[in-house]
Amino acid sequence: MSLVSAGLLLVAVAAATSLVVGVLASPLRRARVSAGLTCVVGLGGVLAGVGALGGASWSVTARNLLPLSEAVFAVDPLSGLFMTLVGGVAVATGIYSAGYPRTEEYAGGPASRTVQMALPMFAAAMVAVPAAGNVTTFLFLWELMALASLVLVLAEHRSRPEVGRAGAWYAAMTHAGLLAILLSLVMFSSATGTESFDEMGAAASAISPATRSAVFLLAFAGFGSKAGLVPLHVWLPRAHPEAPSYVSALMSAAMVNMGLYGVLRIGFVLLGGGPQWWWMVVLAIGCLSALYGVLQASAASDFKRLLAYSTTENLGLVFVGVGAAGVFAAGGDPQLAGLLMIAAILLTANHAAFKTVLFLGSGAVLRSTGLRDLDQMGGLARRMPTTAVLVGIGALGASGLPPGNGFVSEWLLLQGLIHSLSAAGAPSVAVAIAMPLAVGAVALTAGLAVATFVKAFGVGFLARPRSAEAMAATEVPPSMRVGMGVAVVACVVLALAPLAMIRPLERVLAAMPAIGEREPVHGAAELHLSAIAGSMSPLLIALGLAGGSLLVVLLLRLVGGRQPRRAALVWGCGGTRLSPRMQYTATAYAEPLTRVFDDVLRPEHDVDITHYVESRYLVESIRYRQRVSDRIENRLYPPLLAVATRWGSVARRLQNGSVHRYLAYGLVGLLVVLVVVGVTS
Amino acid sequence: MTGLLRMIRSHGLITEPALNPPEDMSDAARVDDVFGGSIQVRHVDAGSCNGCEIEIGSAFGPVYDLERYGVRLVASPRHADVLLVTGPVTRNMADPLVKAYEAMPEPKRVVALGDCARDCGVFAGAYGVQGRVGDFIPVDVTVAGCPPEPEAIITALRRLSGR
Repeated sequence: MSLVSAGLLLVAVAAATSLVVGVLASPLRRARVSAGLTCVVGLGGVLAGVGALGGASWSVTARNLLPLSEAVFAVDPLSGLFMTLVGGVAVATGIYSAGYPRTEEYAGGPASRTVQMALPMFAAAMVAVPAAGNVTTFLFLWELMALASLVLVLAEHRSRPEVGRAGAWYAAMTHAGLLAILLSLVMFSSATGTESFDEMGAAASAISPATRSAVFLLAFAGFGSKAGLVPLHVWLPRAHPEAPSYVSALMSAAMVNMGLYGVLRIGFVLLGGGPQWWWMVVLAIGCLSALYGVLQASAASDFKRLLAYSTTENLGLVFVGVGAAGVFAAGGDPQLAGLLMIAAILLTANHAAFKTVLFLGSGAVLRSTGLRDLDQMGGLARRMPTTAVLVGIGALGASGLPPGNGFVSEWLLLQGLIHSLSAAGAPSVAVAIAMPLAVGAVALTAGLAVATFVKAFGVGFLARPRSAEAMAATEVPPSMRVGMGVAVVACVVLALAPLAMIRPLERVLAAMPAIGEREPVHGAAELHLSAIAGSMSPLLIALGLAGGSLLVVLLLRLVGGRQPRRAALVWGCGGTRLSPRMQYTATAYAEPLTRVFDDVLRPEHDVDITHYVESRYLVESIRYRQRVSDRIENRLYPPLLAVATRWGSVARRLQNGSVHRYLAYGLVGLLVVLVVVGVTS
Repeated sequence: MTGLLRMIRSHGLITEPALNPPEDMSDAARVDDVFGGSIQVRHVDAGSCNGCEIEIGSAFGPVYDLERYGVRLVASPRHADVLLVTGPVTRNMADPLVKAYEAMPEPKRVVALGDCARDCGVFAGAYGVQGRVGDFIPVDVTVAGCPPEPEAIITALRRLSGR
């Protein structure tokens, strides 16, 4: 039995077992079993993925499993990559979820039977989506993934009303995305006359270019919505904060990658690359998403909303890489396309690692203090030291600075984009305009991401506690810390030894006929680029930074140790003692950025001044409120929702509840069918 | 711009010529040579009538130009070598004055400027006055006068800067 089949069997067995989890009575045992099953699913996914990345190709057809069609599972290196990513996230999340429900919460919420049954099922569906080999299996597993995630998002709907609204938005948008994907795949399948992905890919060149473009654009719309690209991203900042944190981690670090998988599968593998303008659209949307996501994240003071917008930003950067790779694959420079594709995939892997850490960390803070608002946190580094260190490593990765893991992938992406003009010979006008703009967008995004994560970690964890809840924080149970630790190990490995990940990726490139067998990056401890002159060693950078810091500390000890020291108060202009409430808040830290970008963000300010009754010259209290809402949602969605509401009220006249009218519809319909059959035969 | 140049040409240099160095520059009144020719001064108004502040402003102005003797006003006591205190110590300013003194790094010196800082002056015994500066922080140089003339301020600060 090959590694792939063993892994998939584990996944199937664990998913089937999860259905009986609800039978167990003790909530503690249920939590542990559910967590264990999610870990097994994750391990199965990693096994199968590693096996597929090692070169083993596997496929199986089950005839009577699905209605209307047969179930085909086919695993190639591209599927293997995504199965590994999802499996890794599922392992970390599974370990974490064992300790998440608090003892006093066992009545509902994350400890309810439905949620604990749905968690391993969600992970299993996500692991299986890349393994689907024909349209029906793919859509079935996609919808299973969406439904399971919806159940998980709605876990706490009894205790908080906004969870219900978030669930409604998520349900509507994921099904709108499903509609787009369904249309695209159905169009593709009917044009080629077959349902299996392999045969569709072989017959794709025979379809007309208009149909191919329609298929690609619809698929990009559906998969892009799942990936959280602007303007279809509005479900992300609503659903992620309201879901339990390990569900947010699974969704943000694993499920959005399914959107990327869909675009790669349909665009690069099945449609064989496509014309340049498709990928220009992808590049443009990627740049927009990256910039908009990071701007909203830099202005957000809710920790989870910040992380949700950061997902939009990172997926935007990934699609910048994918779009640029597609442009060069279509333009006849597969070496550069391979480099950019490697950068995009590495960025996805890094994002999966650090986003898991960050969401699990936010869950740890939420469980320990009940706080999601950065303006009220603070001082957690002393009270939750392990969590603070782990989240710090994740934040370093998210900010894209060395020695964090985001740095290597951003470096590769920027190298590919910057050298694209010289390496591609005589570039077309579109490429010559688009690439420098993309470089500018990526650079601005990287800078703003640094500000965002310095704000998130510095205001949230460092300094003094800004509220009583933060002061009462305690460290979380060991299972949650181990879960975060697993993800941090992945971050550290990706940061110091990215080549361990890059080797298997070359097989993924071989699976894409548009790019083919390439070796864009080679070397041992140092990354050397093949097509362009560039090299970097993340290990040396990390060692250099560590060595330099050690040197500075030793020097300070030697020199400064001789000076006499005196402990004194912080200078506060001689006035009353500084209180922790006077520290920078997240809103204050982001204020310069909010002011500079206020045309995009449009923050709403509200100032409330209360005067003393005796005299209007004396102020009793001042209350300041700032709200940054999603401008794209405010502009684009209300007209669409108004149209849908009007359509619904028109339909109400057709379906007014009268049984007599429905019977009349049935009678008239039958008569019409009889007449038509009679006339045409 | 031309108006400014015309004014400069017509008025010429208005700064007073440099005074002779104070006679007792070598004794205990010169404190010690620890500041090496330049001092950063932080001013604290502990409750004065602002007469001394006007004289300090005049001393740092273009006519008397205290900065040529290596004296500079700074905003934060963390950057200061010398604390220049005016006025008697009132109730509200007692704590901030002590905090400003404690915020200064060593070596530091204190100058009590004016009769009020020296012994409460005309405000001795008033309800809001808690004492003279010497009751709260150790004073190194005292400048008498109500208000002291700019030349007296310059002499006192030159003793500290050593120029």
